[in-house]
Amino acid sequence: MLFLELVLCLVAALVSLVGTYLAIVEKDLLKAVVFSALQSTAYAFIYYLLMAPDIALVYIPVAVGLYPLLLVIAIRKCGRFEEV
Amino acid sequence: MGSRLLAALSMCAMALALAYALTVGVFSIYIPIELRPLAKILVTSAYNESTPLFSSMTPEIVTAVVWDYRGIDTFFEVAVFYVAIVATAALFRGIERSAPRTSVGLSTIVRTVTRIVALMIVVVGSAIILHGHLTPGGGFQGGATIAVAVALALVAYGLAKLVEHRIDYETSLKVRSLGLLGLSLSACIALIAALILNTNAYVFQNQPKTYAPIGLPYAVDGVLISGTVLLLNIFDGIAVAAGFALLLILLSQPEDVARERVLSSEGGE
Amino acid sequence: MDLETFAKFVINVVAVVLVLNAAIALYGLLARPNLLKKIIALTIFSDSINSFAILIGFRLVKGFENPVPPVITSVPPSESYARWFLAKSVDPLPQALVLTAIVINLAVTAFLVALAIQIYRVSGTLDARTLAYEKARRGEER
Repeated sequence: MLFLELVLCLVAALVSLVGTYLAIVEKDLLKAVVFSALQSTAYAFIYYLLMAPDIALVYIPVAVGLYPLLLVIAIRKCGRFEEV
Repeated sequence: MGSRLLAALSMCAMALALAYALTVGVFSIYIPIELRPLAKILVTSAYNESTPLFSSMTPEIVTAVVWDYRGIDTFFEVAVFYVAIVATAALFRGIERSAPRTSVGLSTIVRTVTRIVALMIVVVGSAIILHGHLTPGGGFQGGATIAVAVALALVAYGLAKLVEHRIDYETSLKVRSLGLLGLSLSACIALIAALILNTNAYVFQNQPKTYAPIGLPYAVDGVLISGTVLLLNIFDGIAVAAGFALLLILLSQPEDVARERVLSSEGGE
Repeated sequence: MDLETFAKFVINVVAVVLVLNAAIALYGLLARPNLLKKIIALTIFSDSINSFAILIGFRLVKGFENPVPPVITSVPPSESYARWFLAKSVDPLPQALVLTAIVINLAVTAFLVALAIQIYRVSGTLDARTLAYEKARRGEER
């Protein structure tokens, strides 16, 4: 029982690493927001598996719902691509 | 894209190798088998009818810590939250009432689905708030969930339609202030009762303590309400939901009017 | 690998990944020119630090069964339930501290986004290098 949970935790941690790396190196800000939301989803899984359902409940609407919306509004106003 | 994914996967392999080296090597993160002493006190005293003077009578220990053991901390963190929202409103002053005349929403299908889903999200958020002292949840979680419904309506219907239905800057500011006022009043409710009855009480007091015999009943008619925790959860949920709605409404103001206003004030200085 | 070693390995993986995430986000915060990209990196950084607090509150149980979340599910708790709960519950204090931090983080991030939008309205760009160059040029003119 604990074994399954630990395997899921491992997978979620690796997904969050991939999401963070892609979000930081991406030039297109809209895609970066999507990758950041992927990382947030993985973190929400980690919170749930580390027995913190309160944090998972507050983290899902904040980091997957409201925070990408704020950034998408800002990107729509300020331009989509990052110049290098 | 392919090379980036390869780099990310090699970073994963590096993390695994590093963690394996840490596990079999000398250094490893200390994972306790026993609880820490402070956590032991919290876990044994959060709901304990045999020692009512030390208990917060809340089965949800995280909510008990947030609103009873460390209530003043949380109150001032809510104050930080309020200051951040006030700062945003001050930054956007003068453009908060310039809503567009025509609504730029999405198609009819999306609008109909949104109408159903937003109502369900509000119901779920209210349930999270009202059961905050029994199950995982509380004012912060439920408030953020309700704010998602406002965000969904904002995307599907556009700002003008929302302003037509009185979900605008003024209303959310008023509701936000109402929630904060309720929060302050329910923090002082034991103090007010003690002033009337001429005894002692503390700010943020929930259950009766030594030398402070005033306290809210933790169960009414067999239904557990945990004293002030339920009130604080409700008002905090209202304040958080209205605060996020205010932020979203401020940030989605139309850009052309705003830029004109900002540039004219810039030239005037 | 027995269950104890595997549990320690997974916790080490999560810790290493959180540190790596914080490092990558710090790189993005310092080296990326766009202000919105800096804001994205800042939120990833703060979330990683918050997750570390949660990880510190985690514990293992004797016999390696599942721990339980810090919620008393039997009201009023009987003597045996209270002992069982004390033996299996995780630490509630880091969770309570992180809970408010996440919500306040969002409000502060919204303020930063509002500042970025205002900068774009005034100067027409969000590139930190261009902004610094403009500032230096204006200073020379004065």
